[in-house]
Amino acid sequence: MSAYVVGASKTRFGPSSYSLPQLAQQAMVDALIDAALRPTELKAFIVANFLGGPNESQLHLNAVIAGLMPGVRLPGWRVEAACASGGVAVHQAVRLLGTYDPILVIGIERLSGLPGTELTRNIGMAGDVILDQSQGLNFPATYALVAQRHMQRYGTRIRDFELISLKSHDNSTKNPKAHFHHKKVTQADIDAGATVASPLRLFDCCPVSDGAAAVIISSRPVDSRSVPIVGSAVCSDVISLAQRDDCTTFPAAREAASSAYAEAGIGASDIDLAEVHDCFTIAEIVAMEDLGLARPGAAVELVRAGETGIGGSIPVNPSGGLKAGGHAIGATGVAQIYEAVTQLRHEAGERQVARAEHAVTHNVGGVGGTCAVHVLRRPS
Amino acid sequence: MSGRQCPACNITYAYELETCTFCSARLEDLPPNDSCILAVTEISAPSIGHEDVPYWCALTQTSDGRHEIVKLSRSASVGDVLPSGIGVAVETVHTVGVLGSGVMARGLAELMLSQGHHVIWTGRSLERLNSSRDKVADRLARSMDEDQTREALGRLTLSDSFSALEDCDIVIEAIVEELKPKQDVIHAVEAVVSEDCIIATNTSSLPLDKISIGMQHPERFGGLHFFNPPTRMRLVEIVRGPDTDAEVALFMTRFAQSLGKVPVPVAAGPGFVVNRVLMPLLNEAVRTLEDGIAPAEAIDEAVRLGLNHPMGPLALADLIGLDVVVSIMDDLYERLGDEAYAPRPMLRRLVSEGKLGRKTGEGFFVHTPPPVSG
Repeated sequence: MSAYVVGASKTRFGPSSYSLPQLAQQAMVDALIDAALRPTELKAFIVANFLGGPNESQLHLNAVIAGLMPGVRLPGWRVEAACASGGVAVHQAVRLLGTYDPILVIGIERLSGLPGTELTRNIGMAGDVILDQSQGLNFPATYALVAQRHMQRYGTRIRDFELISLKSHDNSTKNPKAHFHHKKVTQADIDAGATVASPLRLFDCCPVSDGAAAVIISSRPVDSRSVPIVGSAVCSDVISLAQRDDCTTFPAAREAASSAYAEAGIGASDIDLAEVHDCFTIAEIVAMEDLGLARPGAAVELVRAGETGIGGSIPVNPSGGLKAGGHAIGATGVAQIYEAVTQLRHEAGERQVARAEHAVTHNVGGVGGTCAVHVLRRPS
Repeated sequence: MSGRQCPACNITYAYELETCTFCSARLEDLPPNDSCILAVTEISAPSIGHEDVPYWCALTQTSDGRHEIVKLSRSASVGDVLPSGIGVAVETVHTVGVLGSGVMARGLAELMLSQGHHVIWTGRSLERLNSSRDKVADRLARSMDEDQTREALGRLTLSDSFSALEDCDIVIEAIVEELKPKQDVIHAVEAVVSEDCIIATNTSSLPLDKISIGMQHPERFGGLHFFNPPTRMRLVEIVRGPDTDAEVALFMTRFAQSLGKVPVPVAAGPGFVVNRVLMPLLNEAVRTLEDGIAPAEAIDEAVRLGLNHPMGPLALADLIGLDVVVSIMDDLYERLGDEAYAPRPMLRRLVSEGKLGRKTGEGFFVHTPPPVSG
């Protein structure tokens, strides 16, 4: 069944004093306005969120969302797949269109205001409690090990990470909804960044953001701005690096990409821009290789040649990505769809990628335990 | 790693499953194996449960291709070989002797059983030990199913004779906080245990070199000061007396870590760290009450919120027991000669009236017993 994004929105990502319901309402109302729909015209909704329980003492989020439209009693539920919650929720909506149409997908997260030690522990819940958490393997450390292995195997350099960080921060200054929209990041900032988990330093890590994003998915376009989702796939894999033979690639991402491309009837070479899950700079390199935008070990060649910038041959994360655009975990996968939609509508302003026909989004949970990949096409 | 393998499919599972998902064959434990470091990262960001930074996480591989994440307390290099079982979560099972039948001894017995150790629990009265055992069984059953509880209790031996302790790797005494009885039991224990057995006292303030007087090998003796309740309190003061051997102190440190505790090494000075700092605070709270500065509830609330303590000083004194507080203060006052440690008159009065805190139902506060849940 065909699927179209008929409405899309996101809030500004970054620290916010708004509550979960307030953030969710902003995103939901904006998406409804974008789709020219009323709440009563929705047939179901899915809410994506990761840490509402541990961070906010708030679960049962579908009923919280129902409270934003009192009297409209819809089928609704929450999806949790760590940082891939949003992408998984979008996939569910796409696959459910024969039953409910249209479906609202809303991703929300609040991460500010918690002591760092608590937040680091909570985000670590995306890793295995025995294999990873008990050994103190927090998230930066997980990707630090991936980085070490990638460097050993392919000769990837610290400088490559710096180039990705500089590129993403440059992009985010062109995105008014980015966490670091107003912050210019220079080489001196990167040099001064403290080590978080060697070799990753502060500017290799995405910030933790508050924010929400919403998309409305329907089997029918409502107007010429409705963006078709032509490929949608989710894949799960073992949760810990300790369960994998190779940690320089995520098999779940490869599987999901190959399914999504097959459904779209395209290959990686047809992709014009990618919004990938760069929670750490190394993750952008792994993502490009898993999506087939470069062969294993070769993503750095594109990075070094500047081809992943907005004017390059394969722009990666024109929004600024998670790295500079921000990571409001449950909202991130939905916000990637919003960025792809905005780009394919050619409404991305300063950060618009020229001649964008096909966009791919890549949303990862944990260290490759879940991956959601979507392919979207420019409206014809 | 604590993995299991299917003998038919050769598939490895990271979890302690019983059977293979694909063929239902019974899974086998993977043999321990040395591993080699593939990658290692130095972690500078603390998190709950891993507060002490920096520490290191290594991704390792065994010769038969299994991987593991291992937390290390010191730097290591790619290619280093780690002996099997070095991971923090991997514990060696010990036989632990616990002496005493009070609240602390009970907590220690529960902690050791929940951590997989064998426990030889001795006290003067078998009857009292049996009733303590029932309480431990109740506590264990809150987090274990019937089989697990039965297995844990199967590792527990009760005895009123010290000779039962002969196979212990470590014995921890937690009897009454008085010198003579402690000396007596330490001598009795040393007479039955093997040469390698470490003997520890849970004393909160008595001088270690006095407790160990007359020991044949005082170098095997040190302090393991747990806090009540030891199942939940993370701190263990590792007390090194003048004779304590460095290796014994190291063993006690590792042992405390293996129990999930945070060991802090301290010298055997009066009150070690916690009681030395705590007692003047409690005493001053009592004086503040005597001086009519604020009622007990207000003093506790002010200290809780103003100093970010989880519990107010007067409630804490009630929890410890006012008789215990007075005896610790008397001892510290005698040894340090500082008036700050001399128990306030109101403390002595409450003790003489038999108002000892929670255990008698009244101290600075009236404590109603918790309702029996249905």
